Amino acid sequence: MTIPAWMSKVDSAPCEYRVARGGRKNFVRKSIDGVVRFFGESMASESYANRPGLLQGLDPRIKLVSILAIVISVSLTRDIKVLAVVYALVLLFALLSRIGPLFFIKRVWLFIPLFTGVIAFPIIFNIFTPGDSLVVLAAPGPGVRLGPLALPDTISITGQGVMTASVFTLRVATSVSAVVLLFLTTRQDMLFKSFRAIGMPKVYVLVMDMCYRYIFIFMEVIRDLYTAKKSRTIRNQSLADDWKWVGSRIGYTLVKTLDMSEKVHRAMMSRGFTGDVKLMNDFQARKRDYVALSATLAFSLALVLISQNIIKV
Amino acid sequence: MLPIWAYAGYKLNRELKSKQVPLLALAAAFSFVIMMFNAPIPGGSTGHAVGAAIIAIVLGPWAAVVSISVALIIQAFVFGDGGITAIGANCFNMAVVMPFVAYILYKVISGKSPIGSVRRLAAVAIAAYVSLSVAAGFTGFEFGLQPYLHTDANGNPMYMPYGFEVAVPAMLIEHVFGFSILEAIISMLIFAYLQRTDQSLLMGTSGLKVNKEPQKAAPAV
Repeated sequence: MTIPAWMSKVDSAPCEYRVARGGRKNFVRKSIDGVVRFFGESMASESYANRPGLLQGLDPRIKLVSILAIVISVSLTRDIKVLAVVYALVLLFALLSRIGPLFFIKRVWLFIPLFTGVIAFPIIFNIFTPGDSLVVLAAPGPGVRLGPLALPDTISITGQGVMTASVFTLRVATSVSAVVLLFLTTRQDMLFKSFRAIGMPKVYVLVMDMCYRYIFIFMEVIRDLYTAKKSRTIRNQSLADDWKWVGSRIGYTLVKTLDMSEKVHRAMMSRGFTGDVKLMNDFQARKRDYVALSATLAFSLALVLISQNIIKV
Repeated sequence: MLPIWAYAGYKLNRELKSKQVPLLALAAAFSFVIMMFNAPIPGGSTGHAVGAAIIAIVLGPWAAVVSISVALIIQAFVFGDGGITAIGANCFNMAVVMPFVAYILYKVISGKSPIGSVRRLAAVAIAAYVSLSVAAGFTGFEFGLQPYLHTDANGNPMYMPYGFEVAVPAMLIEHVFGFSILEAIISMLIFAYLQRTDQSLLMGTSGLKVNKEPQKAAPAV
């Protein structure tokens, strides 16, 4: 009997994880949704890391060093045009690595309003960035204070403020994109091992690698805890009871963690672990890796020189 | 941050031996997933704990330094929360300041009271509350420091535009009246659960000191 075609076909596209919609989202639902989303995202990342693409084919150590160089030089850059060019380049490399551009952009910009936006948004007003007004919003008059801040006579959005906020946001977006690109194109175990190249001790590499695996096990534990609660409660409980329940489940997970680490330790000992960490070194840098490394290092150096006004653009 | 990590590694190496790898790995995984435990907040929203205080109290501060750092690094690199250049500051606030403040406060306040006592429970709550607030204050301070350290040629700030007078109160207020209260209550409830179920974990023997007794050789079969 031959294997049917649909069975032998390997689909490396990220699978969709759907969470049930509708209904009130209480803390139980939110927790379960969070875990499900976590699994979905890690599955997606893994499928990208296994695709045949440009960055997937490079040595992880080279990629790590290159991306770090880019991130550091981007953090020094304050010219919005240069930042835009770097961001476009990162997008281009994402495309060449066969990562869906929409998925990639969504992944990066999802967090930015939450963390960066909160910091960047107030900068556009003249309270924080004095300058030429674009839009006048209010005129509270002189002498008004907001906490420790003395408010100016008029509140307005300034051109300089918008510029500073845009540069700030774009810089964060570019660095985050570069790092997202690194982990989307690198298998996790390889990524951790590549940390050796920047001098991380072996024991930390092993701890990270094991930690990564156990995160998934604990995620399942949490999903099951919340699912069990969801399926066994038929009415809302008091806030105090809910809090007690959450506290006890975290405590239970902590007990389980320590118990499991004991068992894992015994299992490792019985397989010959003596506390001496050995890692297999299965990296091999080829010619193309050296080319890539020199290209990114040169590019980063150029960015640094531009940011220090040594090269004018 | 590097010397602290190096010292933590040295300290753990001496005291934990081969047991450190699985213990730290699983503790780090626990530090990572603790944020998945949502709790309801009056008003229909939800929140979660940071957990650094309870980890420091149960495992000891040095194990907390390593496991929380690992959790933060994995979060930054593998799950794209960004913040690669800020990882040193991040780890300092959440993996050093918070566990140590919590651990010292807990030790001082609980004194020699019995493990199951209410006094220890109060010590945990205060330790969690103060440690998160202090960590937030440190973060605000680091934010506030930035405009003084990094400015461009025109005197405009490069990274954070806010000085101390904005950054420190902004970070402190939301924590002192919000997140820290949640952290204190949840840490206390976790501790109460451990008091009821497994007091041996709270004797200070589950983390660092567990292997001070000589390692028992596996029975030869």
